[in-house]
Amino acid sequence: MVKFNPQKFPPNLYKERPKISEVISVVAHQLRHPISVIKSYLEALISEDFGKINSKQKEYLVDCLENVKRMAKNVNDLLEVSLIEEGKYELKLQPLSLEEITESVVNNLALWAEAANCEVIFQKPKAKLPKVLADPLKIRQVLENLISNAIKYKKAGRAKIEINLVKRGKEILFSCEDNGIGIAKEDFKKVFTKFYRSEEAMEIDPSGAGLGLYLNKAIIELSGGKIWFSKNKDFGMTFYFTLPIIEEKT
Amino acid sequence: MANQKRKILMIEEDRFLRKVYRDKLSKIGFEFLEATNGEEGLNKIIAEKPDLVILDLILPRKNGFDVLIDIKSNKNTQSIPVIILSNLGQESDIRRGLSLGAEDYLVKTEVSLSQVVDKVKEQLVRVKT
Repeated sequence: MVKFNPQKFPPNLYKERPKISEVISVVAHQLRHPISVIKSYLEALISEDFGKINSKQKEYLVDCLENVKRMAKNVNDLLEVSLIEEGKYELKLQPLSLEEITESVVNNLALWAEAANCEVIFQKPKAKLPKVLADPLKIRQVLENLISNAIKYKKAGRAKIEINLVKRGKEILFSCEDNGIGIAKEDFKKVFTKFYRSEEAMEIDPSGAGLGLYLNKAIIELSGGKIWFSKNKDFGMTFYFTLPIIEEKT
Repeated sequence: MANQKRKILMIEEDRFLRKVYRDKLSKIGFEFLEATNGEEGLNKIIAEKPDLVILDLILPRKNGFDVLIDIKSNKNTQSIPVIILSNLGQESDIRRGLSLGAEDYLVKTEVSLSQVVDKVKEQLVRVKT
């Protein structure tokens, strides 16, 4: 058997190693293409435009599609990580209502939450909150990640998630409190690092890449805010982030 | 005229994607034209005068941005709606595509086949009205 040894390999071939973020970027771009092809084919089959399929076949194809979408999400997350590391990540900052986006995300996740036996309570602020400066798509991504993590990593039985928004000085503070499985104290330092996944999280959802919280941190900090978490007294965690209020000219 | 099929030109290098869009759009009554690179795409736009173009950006011979510039700077083709369907999803790419005159910008991994078809129909209705 011949073993490949790059050290013995000749002149300059391995001298200039590409940065890992560049490799990730190239691989992610290459993967996006076949993923979009497979996704389109599955959608075409499921639509039954080209002939009827039986219910079992449809069920399998829908499962395939769900997994391709997961793969697409992981690849997109990887691409975002590489852009962050290369300093090329772009946010389209604009004044927006965090309240409206939070409400929309909560509504979108409501069916799934109910099916997962989770009560999601969004305490809408009594007075209208001022707008914040952020990228609407990316903030939606952060909210979806934090709230869906709370739903996904629940304990057995009925779970409760409380979401709040309050004005605090020149910023809006978002919080998402759950009574889920929580995070072990020894893992606290790793929570916002790339590819961090607790053992419990891996058991519940083996397909995750452990990039969501890393991306959340990047998005919030690039928007001028902060993100952190605390362990609740009894069970679960509370995740917080702040975003700066935009002074609107009247 | 009412029975005349509306022509959709897809400029896309990937044969698999062309195939699924060819099947889908032909099935619902469009005439599907295709080109595998930017130059061929531009030639077909001039020769065939499609009602709408679905344009990828990473293309051999002439990239999609340059194709778009040529379409929108030629008075014979500038009114043809262009939907960009690309894997480039960075904000700067989207901004550039729209500022060059594309009617819509869709990221391949983020939209479904039926969403693209809906966008095609939407744009054609706009052109009609």
